[in-house]
Amino acid sequence: MRNRKDAEYQNRVELLQGTLDMLVLQTLQWGPQHGYAITQALRTRSGDVLQVETGSLYPALHRMERQKWVAAEWKMTEQNQRARFYRITAEGRKQLARDRSKWDTMVAAISSVLEV
Amino acid sequence: MNRRWFSFDRRKADLDAELEAHLRMAIADRVARGESEPAARAAAERELGNAALAKDVTRQAWGWLFLERLGQDFRYALRQIRRSPGFAATVIGTLALGIAAAAAMFTVVDHVLLQPVSYRDPSRLVLLSETDGKTGDSQAPWLDLQQWIDQSHSFQQIAFSEGLGGRNYLEGKTAFLEVNGEIVSSNLLDTLGVQPRLGRGFIPEKPSFAASKNAGLIVLSDAVWREGFGGDKNILGRTVKINNKLYSVAGVMPPGFRYPEKTSSSSPQVWIGHQLGDRDKDRTWNADRYSVIARLRPGVRPSAATAEMATIQKRVAAQYTDPDDRAQYGQILLERYTDTLVDADLRKALLALLAAAGTLWLIAAVNVTNLLLARSTARQREIAMRGALGASRWRVAQQMLVEGLVLSGVAGIAGAGLAFASVRLLSSEITRHLPLPAPATPDAWILLALLGLTVVSALMSTAWPALVAVRAPIEPALKQGGLQTGTGRRHHRMRGALVSIEVAMSLTLLVGCGLLLRTIYSLRHVPLGYRTDHIVVANLDIPSFRFAGRNMTQELYAPLLERAQHLPGVESAGLMSVVPLGATFTIHFQMQMNGYAIVAFLKAISPDVQRVFGFHMVAGRYFDAQDTATSQPVVVVNQAFARLYSPDKHNPNAILGSKLLNLRKNAPTHIVGILEDTHQAGVADPSMPEVEIAIPQITPDATFYPVLEGIAMDLAVRTGRPTSEFIPELRGVLRQASPELAGATITTMDQIVEDSYGSQRLAAHLLEIFGSSALLLCVAGLYGLLAYVVTQRTREMGVRIALGARRANLLWLVLRQAGLMLGIGVVAGSALALASGRLLRGFLYGVNAHDGWTLAFAAVLLFLSGMLAAYFPARRASRVNPMEALRAD
Repeated sequence: MRNRKDAEYQNRVELLQGTLDMLVLQTLQWGPQHGYAITQALRTRSGDVLQVETGSLYPALHRMERQKWVAAEWKMTEQNQRARFYRITAEGRKQLARDRSKWDTMVAAISSVLEV
Repeated sequence: MNRRWFSFDRRKADLDAELEAHLRMAIADRVARGESEPAARAAAERELGNAALAKDVTRQAWGWLFLERLGQDFRYALRQIRRSPGFAATVIGTLALGIAAAAAMFTVVDHVLLQPVSYRDPSRLVLLSETDGKTGDSQAPWLDLQQWIDQSHSFQQIAFSEGLGGRNYLEGKTAFLEVNGEIVSSNLLDTLGVQPRLGRGFIPEKPSFAASKNAGLIVLSDAVWREGFGGDKNILGRTVKINNKLYSVAGVMPPGFRYPEKTSSSSPQVWIGHQLGDRDKDRTWNADRYSVIARLRPGVRPSAATAEMATIQKRVAAQYTDPDDRAQYGQILLERYTDTLVDADLRKALLALLAAAGTLWLIAAVNVTNLLLARSTARQREIAMRGALGASRWRVAQQMLVEGLVLSGVAGIAGAGLAFASVRLLSSEITRHLPLPAPATPDAWILLALLGLTVVSALMSTAWPALVAVRAPIEPALKQGGLQTGTGRRHHRMRGALVSIEVAMSLTLLVGCGLLLRTIYSLRHVPLGYRTDHIVVANLDIPSFRFAGRNMTQELYAPLLERAQHLPGVESAGLMSVVPLGATFTIHFQMQMNGYAIVAFLKAISPDVQRVFGFHMVAGRYFDAQDTATSQPVVVVNQAFARLYSPDKHNPNAILGSKLLNLRKNAPTHIVGILEDTHQAGVADPSMPEVEIAIPQITPDATFYPVLEGIAMDLAVRTGRPTSEFIPELRGVLRQASPELAGATITTMDQIVEDSYGSQRLAAHLLEIFGSSALLLCVAGLYGLLAYVVTQRTREMGVRIALGARRANLLWLVLRQAGLMLGIGVVAGSALALASGRLLRGFLYGVNAHDGWTLAFAAVLLFLSGMLAAYFPARRASRVNPMEALRAD
């Protein structure tokens, strides 16, 4: 009986979950960033293909914070804006490595299937 | 908790700020790229999407959202309650009433029917007695009992006991106590499966006529040990004195242990070792007779034991020489011990009342469901609006459930408070009517049950409306005037059915109430045959130990009567073992006369008592001042006695002049008068044979002296003075006679008669409450539903009027709908009432369980009240202004 709109929203979060976490963690590898900067970084680096929705990003960030993969603190940006900066933790790096290897295996597997 | 909420709030503010910052940076970026400020803001907000939802999902990631929502729903529910206090009060009041009634009855029934038995595995304990299968059962003499023990195989153990009889006073170390003594076989405690907390108790042995090792041994109850000996640990082996006889203490029982469990007095108990004696050598009326309790072997069913005992008893009965006796003792009655604790009639009555209370609770729950259902439909638009704004359906349903839980939670607390009050009320009511142990507070289990009831009623009353709300489509509800839809009609039918169910259940309660009221009416109009007005009765426990070796007739009763008669405002005063319907103390005696075995009540009476009550004589004379200790001993009997035992069956008066019992050795009494029958036990019970003896003729050498004068006596005083003023003076007189008497129970004769209606009056009282509550709930339910329906149909009514319908038609339209619901309910309720009438049958007097008049009256009352409740909404419907109605909504 779930509202369909709500359900779709959450489905999308789930679909992206594995990869979104990996992409966010990878972005944070280059230095602490706030949420907006992460979306911008993902967009430019993916050549405007990956558009991360706010509704997915922040839940993911907060979840990863709870899982202690990232840590957050309030700092000032270069434009003198107060923003919440996320920094990758040691645990987060390990998680990223695990995600990477899983991703690589999967890409290789999918490619080999598609090449047949 | 506080800190947690605090940090939760801070995190919420953090998240808000974070998203705010995100938005600002996005706008700044776009402006930097050359977009105009408003365009940039619009684009950034679009990109951000549903910020509230994003926040929701994020907070869900924290894992606290559930709590947060619960808090929100809770606050919202409170706001709803504040906004429509009338509705909330109705729901809470209705549920609280239902819960309190159910909880109070449950507590009482639990307490009375499921009294904790202090014995091990009581389901295997059975009572054995001899019976003729019809008129009653009697205890067994040793000779019969011995054969049961020797020949039966169904029982692990058979134990027996007899009461010590009379009044027994124990001289303790720290106090002088009245005790309740039972002479018991050595295996009794073992059979019950309870061991003394101190000492080894009685020494196991086979009963024999040789000197018993247990003769002279006594086991004390915990209460006697504490009150009489201050809980002395070195009590074992010490001697105690009861009525000047010495016993040696062999044990102390654990607290709470009682045997027999049910006794008329609440005095603490002691158990004395049994010794077979001469009276155990025959089985005539002179033999001692014992209560027998046995423990079934594991796995033996009572029915199997009954069958075995039937064959044994056939052989036993053959040994009775008198054919009447052979018939009277020819069979065995085997009862489960646990079934004997509560009188069968009372059990039925309590279960019927429990059913009534349960029904009331159901009515309350149905009513609340109906109210909530109606409201949730009225709130369909609000719900649809919230759905359109993005709230999930479950979110809305959850919120309504929380609302229901808050309502029923408050109702539960109110109901619990009300239950405490009503248990107290019920208990005082019960103890006033019936000699029952009544609880003062609901116990922990009952409170748990109460909680269960609350949850069940919450789910019942919210699940359905919430489900309906969840299923309702959004669009039609949002459309203007889209209130009258197909589903709406189906819900109307559902609600109509609920009202009919309510009506049916209420009718059942009303009929039960009506039947009991008619019973009370019939009981009140049974002619008693004497006056009950302006009589004060003091119920005296006679401290006979004070008068040991003295003549109580002269030293206690004569001066007491003299003083009472000379109190100011006293017309007359008299003494009587027990006043009619007194139910405090009875003496049965059995003897042979004119070749009959006679069983009758025996009463000691002072001649003046006739002036107090105005008893009528049928023949002969009553006692007078000439009947003294030295004159010819005489007795007066009642009509029942004369009818049964007159030498001439066709002329009861022929019994006058017959010789009856010996008052003293070689001093037979003559029957000098026949009294009109009075009801001894209850107004509804037939009069039993009765023999009265004049107190002045009872001297210490009289056979019945200790029983008639030494146990209990009622002092009845006729006075025109107000009782509140008179009773203290009477107490003064009693104190002068003997200090122990000052604490006597003093009441009025009117009250005694009233109290004798006991269980009927209790049941009538309770059913009055249940019945009127049901009626009230029913009327409120019907009114609520129709008022709601009329509001919903305002537009339709307007259209009808605009199209030319007459106002009377509209009035009729609504009334017809109400009449249909009521009619269906009344028909179903009549069937239900007739079916449940059987539950009450044992309780009715002077009225049939299927009494048509009562049913008709209750049905008409319910129908008319219902139509009255329907009239107001109907009138409102007929007064709809078509212009306003069409414009509205």
